[in-house]
Amino acid sequence: MIRLEHVSKSYRTSTRPALDDVTVAVGKGEFAFLIGPSGSGKSTLLRLLLREEVASTGDVYVADLNVGKLSQRRIPQLRQRVGCVFQDFRLLGNKTVTENVAFALEVIGKPRHTIRKVVPEVLELVGLEGKADRMPHELSGGEQQRVAIARAFVNRPLVLLADEPTGNLDRDISHEIMLLLERVNRTGTTVLMATHDHTIVDSMRRRVVELHLGQLVRDESRGVYGVSR
Amino acid sequence: MRASFVFSEVVTGLRRNVTMTVAMILTTAISLGLLGGGLLVVRTIDRMQQDYYQRVETVVYLSADISANDPGCTSSTCSALRGQLESAPGVQTVIFESRQAAFARFQRIFQGQPELLQLARPEALPASLRVQLSDPARFPSIAKAFTGRPGVDRVTDQGEYLRQLFRALDGLRNATFVIALIQALAALLLISNTIQISAFTRRAEVGVMRLTGASRWYTQLPFLLEAVVAGVVGGVLAIVGLVIGKVAFVDRVLAGVFEAAIVPRIGYADIFSVAPILLLVGASVAALTGYLTLRLYVRT
Repeated sequence: MIRLEHVSKSYRTSTRPALDDVTVAVGKGEFAFLIGPSGSGKSTLLRLLLREEVASTGDVYVADLNVGKLSQRRIPQLRQRVGCVFQDFRLLGNKTVTENVAFALEVIGKPRHTIRKVVPEVLELVGLEGKADRMPHELSGGEQQRVAIARAFVNRPLVLLADEPTGNLDRDISHEIMLLLERVNRTGTTVLMATHDHTIVDSMRRRVVELHLGQLVRDESRGVYGVSR
Repeated sequence: MRASFVFSEVVTGLRRNVTMTVAMILTTAISLGLLGGGLLVVRTIDRMQQDYYQRVETVVYLSADISANDPGCTSSTCSALRGQLESAPGVQTVIFESRQAAFARFQRIFQGQPELLQLARPEALPASLRVQLSDPARFPSIAKAFTGRPGVDRVTDQGEYLRQLFRALDGLRNATFVIALIQALAALLLISNTIQISAFTRRAEVGVMRLTGASRWYTQLPFLLEAVVAGVVGGVLAIVGLVIGKVAFVDRVLAGVFEAAIVPRIGYADIFSVAPILLLVGASVAALTGYLTLRLYVRT
């Protein structure tokens, strides 16, 4: 589902490449953690998958798309297949929970009757069916992240990318968010989650892909956060 | 694409930056209004030119000898001149005006100024052949052919005085266009600025749109339409301004001039024939500015 082949990425402002000859693949329906300290290249990797950046060398594939070779016009096709969740939620403060989730469908031109049907369904999936008309600032951090996950998932993406989704949440809430991501994963969605939350990685016992200074240093199928480092 | 969604985004965008929106619309309106004014001046000048050049004459003044001794243009010199003029290409009519007739006309023109009339003697006025040309542009060839001929004193073109008048009017028109252009530049910068501000205040929405895979059109159309709405509203205001300007200013100040048919009246038909040009220019220039701004400044 996700495949990187000898991918390097250098930024003009830095002498060391942010990613250095990384080859990795994540299969359909898999759940993988992407770990490593700050500056190890996690965010760059996610940005490459979304075509926010283009690899300097090597090829990036998401589903059947060669991401680096997509024309500007076809980038939306990629992003409609990839959902995104961030540490800072990125909800629209002037829209209700329902409107926030519906927005993701409106902007890709989904018909209104579809939106009216699927938004409540996905809100139920993330456990927010009672808070549909709340504004984001009326919700707790964990609830806001649930809205963000609902928004990322509402168009049934093939891949869900999560960039430190628990970075702003305490441990119990983080655990709930992890359960939710697992639930999303069980629907067949590939989940790739960048994090440096030891507890979560250790407790989940899922595949762990570790980057260090832009290089792939570990890829374990049922890993923990850090033994050697 | 869902029109209602894009439309509501446009309205939100315009409402959120009310002050900038108003500034953008007013500047656009003034610029388009001046453009429209300039176009109306052009139409008026064109009509005046047609009008006036139909009436102007080329005058062949005759020598003192003919003026004094040939009141009916019967001498061989005079009648030959007349015959040659009549058969010259581009000449419609040739009328002889004797010294007495010229003096009578002089008395008529200056009847309000008796002291001038007392001073004037018929002997001071030459007889002339007044030539109506089908095309005023033919004057130089007539002047060239007849200047210096026996019996001819000099050849003048009344059109020359008109050309001076029209040069002044052309200057007025050009000045209007220059001001319109400067104002248009201000309008363009304001439109560009407003779009940038609009994109900035909506960066969260735009960010979500990009990540959820909204097409470029979906992301940018609202901004583009904001600019076009401003252009069109500006155009409508400009047209309203021209109508008000006609009723409240031009019609009153120039009432006498219109009455005397010195300047042709500017009608509603004139304004409404200029109106579509203003709307089209307003909308398309705004759209183009918006498009370029989005291309240059707003990341997709």
